Amino acid sequence: MLHQALILTSNREYAQAMRQGLLKLGHAQTRIDVELDAVRAMQLAPQQYELILLDTVLDAMDGLQLLLLIKQQSPGSKFIVVSDSVDETSRAVAYQNGADFFLERPRTPEAFALAVEAIRGLFDPGRIDETPQDEEEGPVMNIMDIVRMRCLSGDSVLLLVRSQYQTGDIFIFRGEIFHAQYPGKSGESAFQDMVHWDGGVVRIKAIKLTHIPPRTIEIPYRQLLDAAGKPEVQGPNIRQKSGELFVITSEPPLDKAALSVMQEAPPRQEMTPVFFPTPNLVAAGGTPLPQLNSHWKVNLSGDLLEGSQMAEPDRCAFITSFIYRKMADVAVALELDYFNQLTLLGPHLQQVLVADNMGVRHAVFDTAWTTEELRRQYVKWCCEQSF
Amino acid sequence: MIAAAFVSDEGKLTGWCANSVISPDNLCFIAETCRSILSANRAEQRPAHTGIAAFGNRTLVFREGASGLFMAYLDSPTDDAVLEWLFDQVTPLLESEGIKLD
Repeated sequence: MLHQALILTSNREYAQAMRQGLLKLGHAQTRIDVELDAVRAMQLAPQQYELILLDTVLDAMDGLQLLLLIKQQSPGSKFIVVSDSVDETSRAVAYQNGADFFLERPRTPEAFALAVEAIRGLFDPGRIDETPQDEEEGPVMNIMDIVRMRCLSGDSVLLLVRSQYQTGDIFIFRGEIFHAQYPGKSGESAFQDMVHWDGGVVRIKAIKLTHIPPRTIEIPYRQLLDAAGKPEVQGPNIRQKSGELFVITSEPPLDKAALSVMQEAPPRQEMTPVFFPTPNLVAAGGTPLPQLNSHWKVNLSGDLLEGSQMAEPDRCAFITSFIYRKMADVAVALELDYFNQLTLLGPHLQQVLVADNMGVRHAVFDTAWTTEELRRQYVKWCCEQSF
Repeated sequence: MIAAAFVSDEGKLTGWCANSVISPDNLCFIAETCRSILSANRAEQRPAHTGIAAFGNRTLVFREGASGLFMAYLDSPTDDAVLEWLFDQVTPLLESEGIKLD
């Protein structure tokens, strides 16, 4: 139960919304203070607060440096660092300076609810012990809450899960569920089973992850948890096998023969072209658009802005956005500021993605008819469009 | 070249060399990310085996083989001729260790 907390931020709207959320974790006398001025916050006695939420960037000073100072004054308080963007450097410094939890700033009511639930986990007496090596068994806790909390904070951790009858492992790497396994099963289906063991309340021991596990779960953790939270609703079951997606109808197969209901995505012959603008009309003057199969553009939020010759615009926008986000992760890992171009070479198709600070253009070429010169021409055309 | 690595299908860093700025953990993470891009493209019926990512003047080249993913991080832009030269050098070295990229 939360008694007294401080929210230190320069974002007034967020402060009010978070204050309302935190009040739900307390009782009638719970006090949640909001301080918008970092200098004034330094004059407060931090020892009075059980919980202090502070931003990575404050108006007058660096929130992570302030964390270091306050943590020295009040080592018993719990600290949550809130960041507008999750980058590995800030996260690492936050934990190094004493944060208990690193959180991306919630922006929607759903994200606020998730964040508050994760914070509740910090005050749950059954929460994960951070020094589990001395324990034979972890405490009993709600598996969904723990996974959500670990993912929200971007942790890399191995959760050893033990129910009355079975044991299994869930690997979380950099805030995503990478892999789950128990004897006889692994991947997404193993995860879905495990969250229902003993009604979802099991013993969990957390161990720091020292290596990247093989990835058997590709879908984002929120989607996975949403699906796990609705066991009765049988939507289409998407499974991945040998790199290809299959959709299995909602009826469970009765026997092996029933597996024939597995349907592969339909072939792409029925292209639905003419999605503004058409390639040969686009480039009037300047570099002409080279001959290509299809091309499109998305903005940095993943919305499709324009395109041509696309079979499934939504899927095209999704894959471009997915690749862009992944390449942005690579840029962070390489300590570079930005990613600007990706070429993918395949046996039948070649793709070129060109990113700028407004969006990403994506083109698909036939390998048989494409040369390096055509790909360069496309990049040049993209640059001219940006101007 | 700033770094090169081969990461097996199990995510194990089989061999690598890099300057001190890039940690083995980061190399594994980058390999895993590149693999997820190739995997997503396979699911979209657009399989690809090689990727060339440009970050300003630096380039990350990756190629997926039967047993894992090879990456090279270069301090220069590349073109098809450079790529061909690179893989002409790398392929025999990997093959001598029993790793086939094609």
